[in-house]
Amino acid sequence: MSYIVGGGFDTAAELIEDAPCGIVVTDPDGRLRYVNATLAHWLGLPPGGDAARPTLASLLTGPGRIFYDTHLAPMMRLQGFAREISCRLDTASGTPLPVLLSGVSRRDAEGRCLRHDFTVFDARERHAYEKALQQAKREADELAAIVSSSPNAILRVDAAGHVRSWNAGATRLIGRSAEEAVGQPVARIVALTDRPGWFAEEMKGAGRGAEIVFEASQPDGRELEVTMAPIGTHGLPGVSEDWSVILRDITRRKHAERRLKVILGEMRHRMKNTLGVVAGLARQTLPKPHAESFVSRLQALSAAHDALGADGAEDMSGGGTAADLRLLIDTAARTAGDPARFEIDGPAVRLTARQATSLSMALHELVTNALKYGALSCESGRVRIDYRLDEATGRLSLRWRERGGPTVVPPTRRGFGTKMIGMVLKAELGGEIDFEFAPEGFSFEVVFPTR
Amino acid sequence: MTVLERNNVKLGGLPDGPPMVFVHGFGCDQSMWREVTPAFAATRRIVTYDLTGMGGSELAAYDPRRHADLQAHADELIEILDALSLGEVCLVGHSIGATIALLAANRAPDRVSRLVMVSPSPAFLEDAEAGYRGGFAREEIEGLVALLDENHLGWSMQMAPTIAGQPAEDPSAVELTQSFCRTDPQIMSHFGRVTFFADRRADFEKAARPALVLHCDKDALVPMAVADWMRDRMPGATVEVLDATGHCPHMTVPETVVAAMGAHLGPA
Repeated sequence: MSYIVGGGFDTAAELIEDAPCGIVVTDPDGRLRYVNATLAHWLGLPPGGDAARPTLASLLTGPGRIFYDTHLAPMMRLQGFAREISCRLDTASGTPLPVLLSGVSRRDAEGRCLRHDFTVFDARERHAYEKALQQAKREADELAAIVSSSPNAILRVDAAGHVRSWNAGATRLIGRSAEEAVGQPVARIVALTDRPGWFAEEMKGAGRGAEIVFEASQPDGRELEVTMAPIGTHGLPGVSEDWSVILRDITRRKHAERRLKVILGEMRHRMKNTLGVVAGLARQTLPKPHAESFVSRLQALSAAHDALGADGAEDMSGGGTAADLRLLIDTAARTAGDPARFEIDGPAVRLTARQATSLSMALHELVTNALKYGALSCESGRVRIDYRLDEATGRLSLRWRERGGPTVVPPTRRGFGTKMIGMVLKAELGGEIDFEFAPEGFSFEVVFPTR
Repeated sequence: MTVLERNNVKLGGLPDGPPMVFVHGFGCDQSMWREVTPAFAATRRIVTYDLTGMGGSELAAYDPRRHADLQAHADELIEILDALSLGEVCLVGHSIGATIALLAANRAPDRVSRLVMVSPSPAFLEDAEAGYRGGFAREEIEGLVALLDENHLGWSMQMAPTIAGQPAEDPSAVELTQSFCRTDPQIMSHFGRVTFFADRRADFEKAARPALVLHCDKDALVPMAVADWMRDRMPGATVEVLDATGHCPHMTVPETVVAAMGAHLGPA
C-alpha cells in the first residue's frame, strides 16, 4: 500500500475549493486574489466577489480590521507569517463568525513578497471555551487579588491541621513568612493562649458544612477573631478536606469594648448617686405625702436603669444598652409587695434604654393606682399582664388587666398618674393607649413600635 | 538606565548628517521602518527607537497613568533628542507615532524642523456633532481591546509554521516565532485604548512645524475625509494621497513612500 505525499495529487484543486476551512490568497498589501468556496459560503459572498469588500481586512468586523492593519499586516511583512490570530468574520447574516487566521507570505528568489496565503478556521467552539476560560481566570484573578490584599490573615489548612496556603495578610498579622508557615501545624504557627490544639478541637466540635467563629488571644496579648469554614470544590462541599481559616486582629475593638464597659459602669453609678441625692432633697423640702410619691417615682426610674444591661448582654452594636421587658415587669411587681398576685405572660423582648425607662415609669403608675384604688387594694385582687411582639411590624402590645378588686367607678377627672402614663407612652414612645374602667376591673392597653 | 537604553535607541546613517528620527505606531516596533531608512542612510543621520512599553524598550518604564496621555510619549521623544543633542530634526512618524511626533514638535519647535507623517489621524472616533468622520464607533474600539486580549493567549508559545521545503526541526524555523510586534499584553491593551480613543484635533490645528502627510487612498483605518480635514485644518501641511491599499505604506510600498519623502525633503 502506498500514498502520495506532497504534489501530484489530481484532486488538489477540488480539495482547496471545498476544504473544511477557508482559504484566502491576497496581494502583499492585503487585496483579495482568491477566496475558496467554503469561506465565500461562510461570508455570504456572491460569486465573483463583492466590490465593496476588496481586501482581507474588509472581510473582518471593525475591531478585526484595525487589528489586521496594526498587527497582522506588519507581521506578515516583517516575519512572513502569522499564526492562529483570533478575529471575527463580518458575515452576510450579520452574526460575526469567530475564526482563527493563519498566514504565510510567499516570496521570490530575491526575497520579494509575492503574495500572502491564509487559512481560516471556524473557531466557534474554541471561542466559546476560551471565553469561559477567560471568565474563570478573571474571577480567579479577582479573588486572588482580594485574598492577597486583605488585611486579614487568610489561610488554607488541611484536615491534619497543616497550613497549605498563607496570604500576605497572614505574614503581616502573625509575623511569619509563607515559606516558614506552609507545611507547619497551624496551631503551632498561630499560637492561641491555653489552646495548643485549637484547630483539631474546633474541627472536631463542628459538623462539616458549618462555619465556626470564636475569639481568642495570643500569648503576646493580641486578640483574634477566628473564622473556620470547610472549603468546597466547584461549589461541592465535602469534595475537599481542607478548611479556610481567617484571622482578624480585634485587639483594638476588644480594648474599646472594655473601655466602654468601664465608662458605662461609671455613668450608671453616678446616675444612681444623683437620683439618691434628688430623693434626699425631696424628702427634706416637700410635704411628706408628696415626697413619698415623688421618691417612689424616682425609685422606679432608678430600677429601670438597673434593668438596663443587667443581664450582661449589652448591645454594643446598637450604640446603647438594652433591657429585657420581663425584668421591668418583675421589678414593678416586686414594688407592689407580692409578686404572686401577678400573672405575667409574654415572650423575651429586648427594649432600648428609652423604651425601658418610659415603660417602667408607666408600670410604676399602674402599680401605684392598683394599690390605692384598684385590684391590689384588697386581698383577693389580681393583675394579669400579657404582651405580644408582632415580628413583622415590630409593634409591641401590652395589656394590664385587674380582676377581683372593688367595683370600679370611672374617675371624674384625670389624676397625675394617668397624665404621666399618657405623657411617657404617647409622647416618648409614639404609642397608642387605651384605658377601660369596667365595673369588674380596670384594664389598660398600650401598643408601640419597638423599632 | 539611560534614556537611550530605555527606548532601545538605534543609531545609523551618516554620523554628521542632518538627523531623521523615526517614530513607529501602535502594534509594532521600530523594525517597521527597515525598508525606508536605508534610502536615507547615505545622506542623513538615522535614529530609530521603540516607544516606551513596546518592542525592546524598558517595559517597567511604562506607567499606565502617565502614558494615558500621548504627551508622555512625546516628552520621551524630546528626551531622546536632548540625550543625542539633536537639533533641526526631521521627525518621521507612522499613525499614532505621527501624532506623537507632532506633539513633540509643538512642544519643542526649536528642535524640530519638519514632520513627515505616514497615515496619521488626529482622531479615530467619529464625532457626528462636529461633522468629523474619524471612521470608528466607540464599540468598535472596545471590540479591538477585547480582540487584543484574545490574541495574547498564544503569543508566548507560538511555534513557527512549517514552511514548504523547510524541515520542521530546523533551528532557524524554531527561532522564527512571532517575535515581531509583540509586547506585554496589558501594555498593548492599554496603549490600544490610548491610541484609538485619543482626540488630538486641537493639536493638529496648531501644528508648529510644516508637515508632509502621506495618506493611502485605500486605508481601512483612516478614511479620506480625515485626509481632507488635515489638508483644510493643519497649518503648513502638504497632504499627498498615495494610490495604495492599507495603513502601512512604508511596509507595503516603501519605494513610493521614499520617493514622496525624497521629493518633499530635497537633497540633504
